[in-house]
Amino acid sequence: MTGAARVDGLTVPMPGEFMAALNKLGKIDWSSKFRIPIATSYTSRPQMALNLGGLIADGYIAIEAQDGQQVKNIGRDVITLATALGVSKEVKERSSSIEAFAEKGEWDQLKEELEATQNEVKQAMSEAKDQDLVTLVTVGGWLRGVQVISGQIAAHYTELGGKLMRQPGVIEFLDQHLDKLSDKDKDDPSVRIVRKKMGDIEKLLDFPPDKAPSAEQVKELNVITSDALKEITKKQK
Amino acid sequence: MKRTFLILVCAFLAFAPVHAATDGEVAARRTALGIAGAFTNDGFKLRDGHWSGSFAPGKPEIVQVNLYAGNQYWFTLGATPPAKKVAVSVYDETGKPVKIDADHAFQDNSVAAVGFSPENSGKYFVKVEIVDGAAADFCLVYSYK
Repeated sequence: MTGAARVDGLTVPMPGEFMAALNKLGKIDWSSKFRIPIATSYTSRPQMALNLGGLIADGYIAIEAQDGQQVKNIGRDVITLATALGVSKEVKERSSSIEAFAEKGEWDQLKEELEATQNEVKQAMSEAKDQDLVTLVTVGGWLRGVQVISGQIAAHYTELGGKLMRQPGVIEFLDQHLDKLSDKDKDDPSVRIVRKKMGDIEKLLDFPPDKAPSAEQVKELNVITSDALKEITKKQK
Repeated sequence: MKRTFLILVCAFLAFAPVHAATDGEVAARRTALGIAGAFTNDGFKLRDGHWSGSFAPGKPEIVQVNLYAGNQYWFTLGATPPAKKVAVSVYDETGKPVKIDADHAFQDNSVAAVGFSPENSGKYFVKVEIVDGAAADFCLVYSYK
């Protein structure tokens, strides 16, 4: 099925879809998935984009945890990175409604608003002919999502949960787009790490539909994605 | 055979770059959202993304999606009036059509929708086509819960 990858707007699932499936397996303490606030001042644009994607995924986690203050904190960090990337207009226009929904605890509306914000940011990057940044925002968000979900499944392993990790089409799609990055962006240390880790992740996520990965494999996936995120949040020298 | 068909069709389809939507695509999206909006009353969340373009009779278009077992999905297709009747169908990663229950299929002129719950997480293909009418613009959206 090589070449089947298609459109960012439909082919890569939104974190909300993954979380909806995961929530059906049992009650999850989403607040335990928060991470220590990451740095928001980087000198490399590819690294900013990767971390912007990760922060948006953090936003979904905060919404699942129904933690309004966390949503607002993450929103501020998103604006900081979006400003540095030149796409703050789209985020700022939505930030007041995000804050208002967070204040009122309107979680479904918040999810929709966050998804719309993410898409508008990517659209603005595309319009600025910065397709590389779109790819990196998608990859950053996806990595953070896989890290959180693999951590949850590893800690409460069931075969059903393990099977949920299967995403061969998404890996193909992301790999193809990472390969299309400019040589300059490919050479960024954060991108080099991600591309290297994607190969390891692919081996663990591309399993047959009728076979679940073992608990050890899910743990390994969690370690790989955690390492990747740790590296891409480090400030470059 | 079906698998080969899907491989061939998809191999010719490059990653669609973001482009400014045409008036027809905007109209098709409005049509699709008119139906997809109804699913939100049933707890479905409408994904903000969409896929739009133009299609012609006898030339279906296919998009790849990644779905999760346990979730329920509705795919809704809207098209502009030159298309008198459209259809949307789903295939698994082997090219086998996904069985859609009669009460999870909707068709009304230039709008069609199908709903199902995937047995396995992974890659699926959604095919959109014109059953009757002339070349038109289309838009596909999906909802999940």
